Amino acid sequence: MFSRWGLLLVLGLASWATAKSSTGDSVLVILEPKLDKDNFSIFFDGLREKGYDLTFRAPKDVEPAVIEYDSPQFSHVILFAPETKSFANDITPQSLVTLLEKKTNLLLVVSSKQTPLTSLAPEFSLVLPPPGTPLLSHFPERDTPATVIPVNVSPNPVVTSKLPPVWFSGIPFSLQNNPLLFPILSAPPESFAADSEGDSGAEAVVQVSEKGGEGLWAGSQMSLVAGFQALGGSRATWVGGVDLFSDEYAQKETKPGVKSGNKEFASAVAAWTFQESLALRIDRVTHHRVNQTEALQAYTTNDEIVFTAHISKFNSETSAWEPFSGIQDMQLEFTMLDPHIRTALPPVPGKAGEYSVTFRAPDRHGVFKFVINHKRKGWTHLESSTMVSLVPPRHDGYPRFLSAAWPYYIGAISTSLGFFIFSALWLAGDDRESKKSKGSKAE
Amino acid sequence: MTTKAYALPSDLSPATVTNTTSLLRIIALAFISGAAIASRLFAVINFESIIHEFDPWFNYRATRVLVADGFYEFWNWFDPTAWYPLGRVVGGTVYPGLMATSGVIYKILHALNLPVDIRNICVLLAPGFSSLTAWSTYMFTKELKDESAGLLAAAFIGIVPGYISRSVAGSYDNEAIAIFLLMFTFFNWIKALKTGSAFFGTIAALFYFYMVAAWGGYAFITNMIPLHALALLLMGRYSSRLYVAYSSWYAVGTLASMQVPFVGFQPVRTSEHMAALGVFGLLQIIAFAELVRSHVSSKQFQTLLYASVIGLGFLGTLAIIGLTYKGWIAPWTGRFYSLWDTGYAKKYIPIIASVSEHQPTAWPSFFMDLQFLIFLFPAGVVMCFRELRDEHVFVIIYAIVASYFAGVMVRLMLTLTPVVCVAAAIAFSTVLDTYINPVEPEAPADEAASSEVNSVASDVTNPSTPTPVSKKSKKAVKDSSASSTTGPFGDLVASVTSGKSGKKGERSFGVFGLDTRLVVIFHAIGMLIFFVWHCTWVTSNAYSSPSVVLASSNPDGSQHIIDDFREAYYWLRQNTPETAVVMSWWDYGYQIAGMADRPTLVDNNTWNNTHIATVGKAMSSSEEVAYPILRKHDVDYVLVIFGGLIGYSGDDINKFLWMVRIAQGVWPDEIQEPNYFTRKGEYKIDDEASPTMKNSLMYKMSYYRYAELFGGGQALDRVRGQQVPKTGPTLDYLDEAFTSENWIVRIYEVKKEDLLGRDLKSANAFAQGKKRKRTKPASRRKALL
Repeated sequence: MFSRWGLLLVLGLASWATAKSSTGDSVLVILEPKLDKDNFSIFFDGLREKGYDLTFRAPKDVEPAVIEYDSPQFSHVILFAPETKSFANDITPQSLVTLLEKKTNLLLVVSSKQTPLTSLAPEFSLVLPPPGTPLLSHFPERDTPATVIPVNVSPNPVVTSKLPPVWFSGIPFSLQNNPLLFPILSAPPESFAADSEGDSGAEAVVQVSEKGGEGLWAGSQMSLVAGFQALGGSRATWVGGVDLFSDEYAQKETKPGVKSGNKEFASAVAAWTFQESLALRIDRVTHHRVNQTEALQAYTTNDEIVFTAHISKFNSETSAWEPFSGIQDMQLEFTMLDPHIRTALPPVPGKAGEYSVTFRAPDRHGVFKFVINHKRKGWTHLESSTMVSLVPPRHDGYPRFLSAAWPYYIGAISTSLGFFIFSALWLAGDDRESKKSKGSKAE
Repeated sequence: MTTKAYALPSDLSPATVTNTTSLLRIIALAFISGAAIASRLFAVINFESIIHEFDPWFNYRATRVLVADGFYEFWNWFDPTAWYPLGRVVGGTVYPGLMATSGVIYKILHALNLPVDIRNICVLLAPGFSSLTAWSTYMFTKELKDESAGLLAAAFIGIVPGYISRSVAGSYDNEAIAIFLLMFTFFNWIKALKTGSAFFGTIAALFYFYMVAAWGGYAFITNMIPLHALALLLMGRYSSRLYVAYSSWYAVGTLASMQVPFVGFQPVRTSEHMAALGVFGLLQIIAFAELVRSHVSSKQFQTLLYASVIGLGFLGTLAIIGLTYKGWIAPWTGRFYSLWDTGYAKKYIPIIASVSEHQPTAWPSFFMDLQFLIFLFPAGVVMCFRELRDEHVFVIIYAIVASYFAGVMVRLMLTLTPVVCVAAAIAFSTVLDTYINPVEPEAPADEAASSEVNSVASDVTNPSTPTPVSKKSKKAVKDSSASSTTGPFGDLVASVTSGKSGKKGERSFGVFGLDTRLVVIFHAIGMLIFFVWHCTWVTSNAYSSPSVVLASSNPDGSQHIIDDFREAYYWLRQNTPETAVVMSWWDYGYQIAGMADRPTLVDNNTWNNTHIATVGKAMSSSEEVAYPILRKHDVDYVLVIFGGLIGYSGDDINKFLWMVRIAQGVWPDEIQEPNYFTRKGEYKIDDEASPTMKNSLMYKMSYYRYAELFGGGQALDRVRGQQVPKTGPTLDYLDEAFTSENWIVRIYEVKKEDLLGRDLKSANAFAQGKKRKRTKPASRRKALL
């Protein structure tokens, strides 16, 4: 057992140097027997070239298991099983969620057939169309069937470079209101989902669209590829059709002489899913008083506090985390139940990867937290919470003399002096005088 | 020559008798101290050397900080783990007297190379101070009557359950030292008043300061002494002695008490302290008036003076009222109102009413705590009326005030106990004096001498007391002692009982013969023996339980220890990260902080009603409502006490209605008490329980998987005597983390947010493989068919 783990560890370390992903390079491809591995050679070879270590298995196979002894065996899982009716026990929808929990990234493909993934999709706030209703589009005019559609890639965080249209064939899905979910590839505005491969639905589309298009599985609100950034940090990508990754579509021309963008698009999707791109992390946070350096457990109210965060971004070219100063909209909250202070946390010019802000602590004692909560679509969530207490000044931390207290000082001093003079007179004076001063004492 | 009921030795020198009596007194006091300490050790012997209950755990924890970090660090101690996330400025919100006392003892012992653990000092502090209390009660009573009454009072206070209930070993609470300070301050006050000594007034002020530093109940002294002074003024007993004693006590005591950070400017800014200030002002005015009167003879001027004095007093009162109205002087607090109107707290401040020791006292507990002293108490007060010197007025006022308060609140039984002991001792020693005195009444003779003697008994010991009758009584004493020829021992007995012997002589009735004497004395001794018996029984059975550890008996009669609390707290300590926040009802806050060392949301220092109400709301709402509250407060674990399995009645379900009420006080729209009752208005947990009750977090946490324990049989809640539904509640937002051996403590872990952004209920349903209902947007879109 130990030797096996050791071996894995050694392998892991050895492959780390060439790994492209920030979380590991072992990939399990669960490939339906119907699909030929060679049909996807461009995609898979691309992954291999990047340094991934691909393992193939069929959805109904038991070996190699995805999770053994509660620990995930692969860093990433590609599930190319759009039509298999039932999966092996270790990749049920429930265990796929468990995989995500255990920081494994998923690339999931669905089709118009009903599969176990159909019931998983709603958990990701995706709504799939009824079975058997693929996406159709009659525009632009072309020689392919209506189900094979060239889709323009609109710019989004995952695919930044300008790509030619990609060929797509499959189903759309609508995205529910979930901030973790975002579209990577949207359906063309003219497309719709229908149960026919041909033109028969077109009439109905026209009719419905004349009524305003309400309740139609159509339009650019539908997504074809959607990314999901889970709270634990792992990522899942849903793709509406497996052909997107196929060699055929990668080589197919959208216009004469222009190759489709499928290869680059698939590569970018895989890069995002496998945490190559847009992966950020907070290396460390520090806090200290202005003009001091050491971090305190407890600050005094109204202290000037400096808070600094060091943030890196993964660079897949060099396979290394590099300081990253590109975030402009990060905020720092100083929170006790509610944020008492919310301020911008801007990058420090000239210091790579460093973000710093100086603020005055509120005049309120309690247990506060420095909170960074930076969630942007596509980017790794940056979350950090550092607890410090904010205490009232020490007993000797208050100003010693107050100008406002002069009446009291004068009162105390004059009483003391008066008492001294009175005592002196009392002791020095003779009997008759003392009688007089007795009267004044009582007054 | 009077006849004697029994012979007294006559060949003893007066010196021998005096020496022997004082030696006997010292020995008796030593034995009383020993008995006082020993009877408080039941808790250690029956259980172990452990800190008891709730508040003592905080005091113990604070003492450890004080000992470890020093006094200045303690003063500036900010505890981030209490009242998370508000924190507690402990140094400024604590009466440090108790911790400082233990700290000083600890330092002294360690300086003497006696490496005693601080826990043992804390455990044994209360018994130690109880012996000091006995001594100060002796001194106090001696001022009222004589040494023999003092010894009786010391013996009573040493073992009376009313005081033991708060001072058994391990009951490391402020009251442990406060009663000693109370009695000693009163003793010094009386001494100062009697002698007109600024020295004793200052000593009283210093002990008053110690009391202020030690217990919130110092307000009792703050109001008792002015009340006494005022009563004396109204009785026309103004004297320069009163002036000196009160002024020195008030001036020094108030300035000193303001040095305690927690008290601060309260002595001049709150209504509770205004009586002392007002009487101080009144005394100054009267003193001035007296002075002027002694110098001015004109009658008209005196009338004018009186008018102006009254006018000034009136103006002063108006000023205080005006300042209160303006907000310069804080008005009475709710706790104070609840002393006058027992229903007040229940209506307006449920958090005070929810504490069992703030409930009105039940009649049996007077007998339980004081036994036969409660019967002697009125007799002793009557005895005080018979003499009515200044100090007797004090005891009378004390008796009246404390009786009232003891009737209002159970915990104030503690302040009643000393005066009961004192008054009972006076009454009892009078009985003994009368019946031990061997002087037989004789035929009417010597009427002239004895007719004057009708009031004072113990003036011989205090010849300086300027009561009008003292000279005459001295004469009477001389008469009676002159008439006795039985030597110095007889002298002593006669001097102690002179008043009575005189009276007997006068009226020619009284106690004849030895037999009558013996009958009464044997009865008296019998009462004492039963008293000791009762005290020992009550102490060992009722007041020595640490309540952290419970005891029950096995079928064979042997003791079975139920240690669920510590089991659970140690589980928390060893299995959770140090920053894990634990939410529980506030009763257990101090224990969790002390034993588990984990941050808590609320604890027994109930200073923030809203925060407590927040916890109450979380406990009494459904999971969906409670979860955001839990997450907002970073709660990692929720701890509930459940007694249903072994019949531990002090559990959270029984306290649940208080949580509901307190939450209702802050969120009347969201939490309503009637929703937690069945349709018939009963508080039930079985099948009939209302849906709100069944959905509440508290109910779910208490009965989660409880029915499974009975393996399909009917599950029974032994506290409520009701049957628990067979299908128990389910939990979606919490996970059961730990349940102690007897199910008394149950700990739940709060789940993190779902990683897919779902609510945990549907996430759970998915994990259990349940089909998800079609979500709405899907139905709105239809595919073309």
